[in-house]
Order: sequence, then C-alpha cells, then structure tokens
Amino acid sequence: MLLLLQYTLIFASVLLLVALGGCFSEHSGVINLGLEGIMVIGALGGALMMRWLPAGTSALVVVLLTLLAAIVFGVVYSSLLAVACINFKADQTIVGTALNLLGTAGATVLVKAINTAANPNDHSATIQYIEQKKAFIHYFGSFEFNWFMVIAVVILVLAWVTLYKTKFGLRLMACGEHPQAAASVGISVFKMRWSGVLISGALGGLGGICYILAGVSQWQFEYGVAGFGFLALAVMIFGQWKPWRIGMAALLFGFFRALSNVYSGFDFLTALNIPGTVYNMLPYIVSLIVLALTSKKSRAPKAEGIPYDKGMR
Amino acid sequence: MKKFLKNNAVQSLIASLLCIILGLLIGYIVLLFINPDGAWDAILMVLKNFLKSSLAKTRTKLLGATLVRTAPLLMCGLSVLFAYKVGLFNIGAAGQYVAGVCASLYAALAWGWGWLPCILFAVVAGAALGAIVGFLKSYCNVNEVISGIMLNWIALYTTNMILMSQKQQASHYTLKLKGNADQAILPTLGLDKLLKNERASIAIPLAIILAIIVYVVLFRTRFGYELRATGNNRNAAKYAGMAEKRNIILTLVIAGGLAGIGGAMLYLTDIEQWSVTQTSVPGMGFNGIAATFLGGLNPIGTIFSSFFIQHITDGGAFVDTTYYCSQISDLISSIIIYLCGFVLFLKTAINRGIARSEEREALREKALAAQAAQTAKPENVSANEKGGEK
Amino acid sequence: MESPYAIEMLHITKKFPGIIANDDITLQLKKGEIHALLGENGAGKSTLMSVLFGLYQAEEGIIKKDGVEVKINDPNDANDLGIGMVHQHFKLVECFSVLDNIILGVEPTKNGFLQKKEAREKVLALSEKYGLQVDPDAIIEDITVGMQQRTEILKMLYRDNEILIFDEPTAVLTPQEIDELMQIMRNLAAEGKSILFISHKLAEIMAVADRCTVLRKGKYIGTVETKNTTMEQLSAMMVGRNVNFHVDKQPSHPGEVILDVEHMTVASKVHKKDAVKDVSFKVRAGEIVCIAGIDGNGQTELVYGLSGLEPLKSGKLTFKGQDITKASIRKRSTSGMSHIPEDRHKHGLVLDYPLEYNLILQRYFEREFTSAAGFLKRKPIREYANRLIEEYDVRSGQGAITPARSMSGGNQQKAIIAREIDKNPDLLLAVQPTRGLDVGAIESVHKQLVAQRDAGKAVLLVSLELDEVMDVPDRILVMYEGEIVGELDPKKTTQEELGLYMAGAKRDEVKA
Repeated sequence: MLLLLQYTLIFASVLLLVALGGCFSEHSGVINLGLEGIMVIGALGGALMMRWLPAGTSALVVVLLTLLAAIVFGVVYSSLLAVACINFKADQTIVGTALNLLGTAGATVLVKAINTAANPNDHSATIQYIEQKKAFIHYFGSFEFNWFMVIAVVILVLAWVTLYKTKFGLRLMACGEHPQAAASVGISVFKMRWSGVLISGALGGLGGICYILAGVSQWQFEYGVAGFGFLALAVMIFGQWKPWRIGMAALLFGFFRALSNVYSGFDFLTALNIPGTVYNMLPYIVSLIVLALTSKKSRAPKAEGIPYDKGMR
Repeated sequence: MKKFLKNNAVQSLIASLLCIILGLLIGYIVLLFINPDGAWDAILMVLKNFLKSSLAKTRTKLLGATLVRTAPLLMCGLSVLFAYKVGLFNIGAAGQYVAGVCASLYAALAWGWGWLPCILFAVVAGAALGAIVGFLKSYCNVNEVISGIMLNWIALYTTNMILMSQKQQASHYTLKLKGNADQAILPTLGLDKLLKNERASIAIPLAIILAIIVYVVLFRTRFGYELRATGNNRNAAKYAGMAEKRNIILTLVIAGGLAGIGGAMLYLTDIEQWSVTQTSVPGMGFNGIAATFLGGLNPIGTIFSSFFIQHITDGGAFVDTTYYCSQISDLISSIIIYLCGFVLFLKTAINRGIARSEEREALREKALAAQAAQTAKPENVSANEKGGEK
Repeated sequence: MESPYAIEMLHITKKFPGIIANDDITLQLKKGEIHALLGENGAGKSTLMSVLFGLYQAEEGIIKKDGVEVKINDPNDANDLGIGMVHQHFKLVECFSVLDNIILGVEPTKNGFLQKKEAREKVLALSEKYGLQVDPDAIIEDITVGMQQRTEILKMLYRDNEILIFDEPTAVLTPQEIDELMQIMRNLAAEGKSILFISHKLAEIMAVADRCTVLRKGKYIGTVETKNTTMEQLSAMMVGRNVNFHVDKQPSHPGEVILDVEHMTVASKVHKKDAVKDVSFKVRAGEIVCIAGIDGNGQTELVYGLSGLEPLKSGKLTFKGQDITKASIRKRSTSGMSHIPEDRHKHGLVLDYPLEYNLILQRYFEREFTSAAGFLKRKPIREYANRLIEEYDVRSGQGAITPARSMSGGNQQKAIIAREIDKNPDLLLAVQPTRGLDVGAIESVHKQLVAQRDAGKAVLLVSLELDEVMDVPDRILVMYEGEIVGELDPKKTTQEELGLYMAGAKRDEVKA
C-alpha cells in the first residue's frame, strides 16, 4: 500500500511538472506536442550531470546541479520548437513530432558515443546513477521519499501564482486567447510565446529527469519516456488548463501508472489473474476514456495552434 | 524561370531537396562534435548504403534488402498522407502498423491462413484502430495526435499479449513463418531472383500500385474531392453538404488499413520475428511521417521519399560502430522532419519573391509607358485624369 | 508657436504587393475636434490607421505630433504618444474580466504582482466622469456589445490617451446605442480629447463631426467642414459619382408559399439563451423578403437553421410543401435551396481549391460532374466553370484554374453568387450578399436578386445595410433579440421607423 502511494506520488509529480509545462505553452498559444522529446533531453542533461559529478559531492550540490542541467537542456531544446513555430510559423504538429523523434535519436547517439569513448566495447545507450540518485531520496521507514514530490508541489503553487496573480501571467494568457488584442496594447506576442515555450521546456526537462529517477537507477536512452509527454498532455486537457485541476488529474493518472509497478503486491489484484501487460496499458486506456469524456466541452485557449501573424488583424 | 518556380510541384521538390541537404549538413555537424575523425566517412556511408559494395551482386542484394523495407515504410507514409489531406495528423500509423503485424502473424501462425487473407486481416486490424481515432475525433473532439499515441501503446501491449501464444519456446521471438506457416509467406513473383534477395516479394510492386491508387483516389475522384475540401476548409465542406464526421472516420479507417498492410508486408516476408517483450513502438510508423512530408504530401513523391528514408536508415547500419551508432540515420531523418516544418514558410518566401519582382517589373513598365506618353502628348495625360474624376 | 494640430499624417504612401493602399494621403487632426475619416471599404482607411499605430511602416510621408515629427514603430510608440483606438472588431480577451482587459499592457504592479484594487478605483472614477457604465468584474463574453465598446473606450482613457480613434464604432450598435455613443464622443471632445471617427455612414458624420477627410481607392480626395457641406456632396466625394441608391424594379407578384417557417427556435452557440425564438414567417415565389436587424440578433442562427448548418431546437420547416425540419444540408440543397453564406471565407469557398472546383462545390456529386464509378469528369467541370466565369463576369488571373485564395474579394463573391444562382434554386438565401463589395458590384448583385424574383423564385435576403433593406425587398421582417418584431412594407415605411423596430423600441404582434 505504501509502495502504491510512493509510486503514485512520484509518477504524479512527473505528470504534474510536464503538464504544467504544456499548460504554460498552450496558454501562450503554442501547442507543445514535443514535450516527450523535451523530457528525454532534460533527462539526458540531468543524467549526464549525475554521471560526471565526482563521487563525494554533497547531496545538495548534486540535486541542484542535476536540476539545473535538466532545466537548461530542456530550455535549449524547446527553443527549437519556439523558433520554428513562432518565428517561422511552422506546423506545430510536425515540429512537435520531429522533436520527439529527434530527442530519442539524438540522446541515443550522444550517450552511445560517450559510452564508446569511455570504453570501446561499450555500445550501450545506458547511463547509471546509483550513487547520485541517493541525493534525491530520503527514507521515512520503508517509504522512499523523493524531493521531486516537494518540487512538484512548489512548482504547482508557483504556476498558479504566476498565471493568475502576476502581470506576466495576464499577458501570457492574453496571447493564447487573443494575440491581436495583446499586440494592440503593445504586448510582444512573440516574446510572450517564446516565454511560454521556454517555460514548458524547463518544466518538461525537470519532468524528464524526475521520470528516470522514479524507481530505477539507470536509464537506457533508446527507450524514450514511453509516451509520458503525451500522458501529460492528457492530464493537462483533463485539468482544463487550470493548475489545481491539473494537480488532481496528475494524481489520478499517477495512480494508474503506479498500479503497473506494484499490482503484484496486492493479493486481490493478483488473484484476478489479469496479465501484467493489461496494467501496463492501463494509463493509456484511462487517458483515452478520460479524453473522450472531457474533450467535448474543452476550454482550450482560443488561439492555440494558430501562428501569430502581424499582418493579420 | 519564374513560371517554373511558380509550379507547386517544382517548389515541393526544391523544398524537399533543401530539407535533405540541410538535414545531412546538420547531421554532419553533429557528428563532427561527437567525433571529428569519422564524420565524413559516416555521412558518406549513410548516403551510399547499398552502393558501398564494389560487387554488383552484393549491391543488388543490398538494394533488395532496402526495397523490402521500403514497401512497408511507403504504406505508413501513405497512411499519414491520406489522413493529412483531410487535415488530420495520423501519428497513430505506428500503432496501426503494429496492429497489422499482430493480425497477419496471428492469422498465419495460429489459424494457418494464406498470405492474401493474412494481409486482408491486417487491413481490418489497422482500420479498426484508425476507426477508434476517427470516432473519438468526430464524436468526442479528441485530438487525434494524443489518441493516436495512446493507441500506439495499447496496440503494442495488446500485440505482445496476443503473440505470446505464438512465440518460440526458448526465446521471446515469435515462430518463423518458414516451416510453421509457409502458406503465409508472400509470393516473390521472381523478384527474389531479380534482386538476388529471397525476401523481395510481391509487397514491393503492391506498395507502388497502392501509392498510385491513393493518388487517383485523392485527386481524381469525388471522394478525394470531398476529403481535400474537408481538409482545407471544414466549414465549407459542411456548408456544401459533405458528411464531415463520416468522412473523418472513413479517412482514418483507410489510413489505418494502409498502415496495417505495411505491417503485414514486412512480417509476412519472414524477414523479422516479433519480440513479445518489446517495450517500444516500432519506428516504421514514425518514419512514415518523415516520408510523407519529405515527399511533398504527394503519393508519388512519397514513393521516392520513403525509398530515400529507408536508404539512409539502412546506410546507418553500415556505419563504423567504433565511432558512431546506427541511430545516426534516425537522427538525420528526424532533423529532416523538423526541417519539413519550414517548407510552408519557404514556399511563401519563394512566392513572395516572385510577386515582388513581378511588381517591380510592372512598375518599371508603367513608368516607362508614362514617360513615353508624357514626352509624346503631355495634355493628353491630364485630360485622362480629369476623365477619371467624372 | 504651438501647433493647432494634435496629430498630422503628411503625404503617407504605403504599398502592398500588387496594390497601393495609401497614395500620398494627408490627414490633420485638430486638438479638441471630432474629425471624420470617410471612405468605402477598401478606400485605405484601415491601412492609414495601421500606419499611425506602427503596425505598418509607410514608404513615404511623415507623422507629426503637436507639430513635431515622430517615428512610430509599434503600438507602444503610438500609446506613448497618447494615441488610442477602438477597433471595429473589439480587441478584447473574451474570458477575461472588464478590468483585466482595461489594464492589460499597463498593469499596475508591486514587485511583479498585480495591484487590481488601485486599477479598479481608477476605472470606476473614469466611468463616473465620462458616463461610461461598466461592471469591472463582468466577463467580456457575458456582456452586451455596447458594454464591450465602453470597455474599449475606458481602455483608452485609462491610458490617459489624448487622441482617440473610433473605427466604424456604430456598425454593431442599435440606433439608441449610437445616440449614446455620439453623446459620449461629444463629451470627450469637450474635455479636450481629439477624436478621429472612421465611418462610411454619412448621417452619423454630419451629426457628430466637425470636419471630414475623404479617401477613395487609396487616394486623398479632400477635407471639408461638415457645416459647409451636404450629405450628397460627401457621398459624391466618397464614391466619385452620384450613386443611384435606388434599385429599379416592378411590383412583385407573389405566388405560392415556397418556404413556411413555423415556431422555429435555434439554440445559441455563444450564450445559454436561444438565438432564435419561436419565429414564424412565409416566403412566397416571386418575392424578396428581407430579414433586417442589427448584427447579432439571431439572423446568423436563423439562416443556419434554414440551411441545415445547425439543428432546430423546435419548430417546423416546410419547403415546397415538404417537411424539411430534419433534412440534411445536402437534401435541402438538392431539393432547390441555394445559400449565399454570410462569411465567404468561412463557408463559401475552399480557398486552396481552384476556381473551377469552387464553382461545382454544390453540384460536384451530380452525374454531370462525377461518373458512376465516382471519378470526377474533368472536361465537363472545366467547361461548366468557363461558362459561369463568362456569364457572371468572374475575373481572375488564370481563369478556371486560379486558386480561389488569390482572387479579389469581389470576384470571390461573384463566384459564389454565380454558383448559387446557376443552380436555379426555388429559394435563394442571400446573407449579406454585398458585404465588402464596391458600389458597382453591389448594384449588379441587387439586379441579380431582382432577376431571380422576376423569374418567379423566392428570395430571402438577410441584410444589415439600411439602404439595401429599404430598396431591394418587397417585404421587410425585422429581427430583434431572436424574434421577429415587425413586418414592414418598404414602400410605406421610413428608415426612422425601421430603426425603432431594429432597436427593439417598437414591436407588433406578427402573425405567422
């Protein structure tokens, strides 16, 4: 039971971070379908940092530098989406998809190159971080507490404050709803959209490193992040683009994802004799059902997905 | 020259070539960063693929190997393309392809079906998956990209579950068709001899024929007229009385069917066996996206672009692993997809450039004419202006 | 010496590919005056304003503020110079509150956090001072158009703008709201604000403006004092010749009932109320019936209900004696209903299709254009398109294969009209068929509508233009808030009476 709670919380943290990233991007008017790729690259940044930090570095430094690396990688990578979709008005779906493929391919190539350079016989795309991972973990009895659970909640509060209580948030949302209106009062739609996408890059990167720290202590980059970027988008839609509701949605989805890790620990679940694969599918099935039920009356930002053109009024 | 540049097909071709060149260039720069020593050789190897061999016989054999995988890729590309013409992004092609694999292998191994029924069953499986996406899109307003991705994973796990019963005792791979289901292996029509590759089968010509059929359906039939109208302007299609919801579902059913055939086309050659512990969705469907956009969203263009994508993918496998891994071709093709996002911008830029130079010419001619008129009969011009006022 | 002008735009020239939108235009706005800018659609008014706001950069000409030359590179510069504008299509974020919309872009903050209390006090003070009633906490999508416009005006006042531009502000208002707006404008001018009033409505200009500058086809025609001029003179300046607003037509001879609408109710997509409420009327063969009303009083939904784009909530439609209440769009079309849609880009055309494909949009499935096997017959399509292009004088760069996108608005509309009329319908739904057209084109559309009527067809015209409403139809039905509030005879009524009905100030019990 405790294990279920632990996994629910950590997966919910991942989904929450990434969904909030998507939320910022969409409120600015850009649909970020590249979150999956951004997660991979963020995870890559964090994992490389953990690998290269000398043993014996203090836990706080490990945590901070790893987070920083993930954020920087995510932000830089998301700028590829921003430049294409905002400045060049590219199709947001194609570019997002390209970033997803590029994320996995690029990370694989890079990690393999690094591994092979260190050891000519090592052709794997795996990074290990058993030691460094401990910096993120704290045990309360048998409950494995991960600092990301706190980070996610802090960011949730920050996201809410930013969107609804600051000048920045007001302007950001204006750009996603009615960019011409925002431009007419002197707001730079390009700048706000860039901010939205870069924030989604930062949060996507954080979500990525959080994901690969959940439960395992090494990561094989060929596998990407198993559709988590898209699950996060489903969480965002289910949360109707509002931070608190996204928080609740993330918990729900986190729970279903956690089930696949721990179902064997529950006697009544094993007694049902359902193949493990069904539990693996569960989050995806649930998200399909949830989307089917909630998409009809969606309150998506009105101008999302539409490139902003100065000439159009 | 200008007329030539104005032509949409020419523009698409230029755009695609630019994407390829830039993609390779960026890929090369990335390789330089990773390891400057082998970068040039690696890029050359990726581009050469079957041409690397000095023996004509080996070249043909390797070309055959590329063609065997081009056929399913082309099907996935057509699947993405067909849906895109209605304005839908069928990223679910990857899952529909998997469904096709599952259906054809299961029908072949468990029920002993022949190759043709196996293919048809794959069509049904892919189409069913497409129908779900279409239904969710038209009746529940679910974004087809997200539902497509979810279904990709569901299809993957379901396939693993179903094919579990058809796997080899000692490994996690499904049984070979040869020896277990010979009747399901695709006929070769002599292509195996021609291409000196026993896997070369009817799939290759079939895929090309299907591409031509897709072209005809899209551009020459009433159905295609409706689909493209829906893709360009949903509201106008509705206004003209076209059944939008039915068309969306039908399109995704067809798109799913095309991707499903792709799955059967690869696995019924017995070139590969499915690993039932697989945890990632095969890249064929995603590469189909690259093929579609690189092909300028034209079925005929997609034939060539899917060959090119498969060509560099296979080329990647020959790259010296002491320097790089085979995924560098994935890297290059994903860079190419990224660049394809800029194609529209490029086309607009070309058209704007043409318009501007035409305008300049028109103005110059006007100025010349006015000048000539002025020197000839100055009073005439002012009389004309007055005439305009009336 | 202080300049008498608040803002001057001198010899402005702005070109776009293929068109000179502004050709040497001069506009001088005096301090404290109401200055009208008059011109037809496409005369270059919007372009000139975009130049003033820095959205476009002019190739030639300068802008002076208080006699000093200034550079305006973006709306921020314009705002810094105290220039504000109420756009024709409001620039309001619909899901934000009135207050949020007013402060957007000039938010008062403390350490980055919004200080809405301060802002609210300032807004309330301003609305008191100028008599602009608004509820700061109301959400834009819930309030009336009039209140949205007041929000826009408050946006300018909140920024302490001295130069206020109103772009076609009366298009969406009822006559009574228009009177209120005129009063507000006079108050503002009295307080020392300089006002630029963009319009093509002569009566309003004569009523409120001190001076008027006229543009025509991108050129500067002149500036006149309104007290020294007449409507006829202004009109002649605007269109270049004296327009015969009157449509020549014989008395109508209505025949049998073609369309019978009984107790029709259509739900609204934007709000929770019904957009069309229990509407009943008949349209007969050989007559033109016009639905008049201010924009947004349910005309759009009425047409959607008739054409099948939206389902009815209740009621019954009978077309040529057959119940079509539940019939599909296609069924209605093939049984003889044509529809010239309100928005040609949204519904009327597939912009990426060539002209020929757009011309068969309602008939592509007929045996004439599609073979039994489902293949398009390319030759008959081309021939049909060429015939329509010829007969209806649709002009385009490359004839039948011109992409619809690259055609001018007027010719796009002609193509739609050709397509819908050539279908030889028994009922023609013509929704704002002259929107965005120039005077010559308007005349020709009106003639075609009358020709349909004279050929014994039924025509249902939906119009927002008073001139059109008075001249074209044989009967007028006035819609107000989703109901038909009056049936008028255009020969016996006056614009004033029509206005009272449109504003909801007068209503009759109209029998079905």
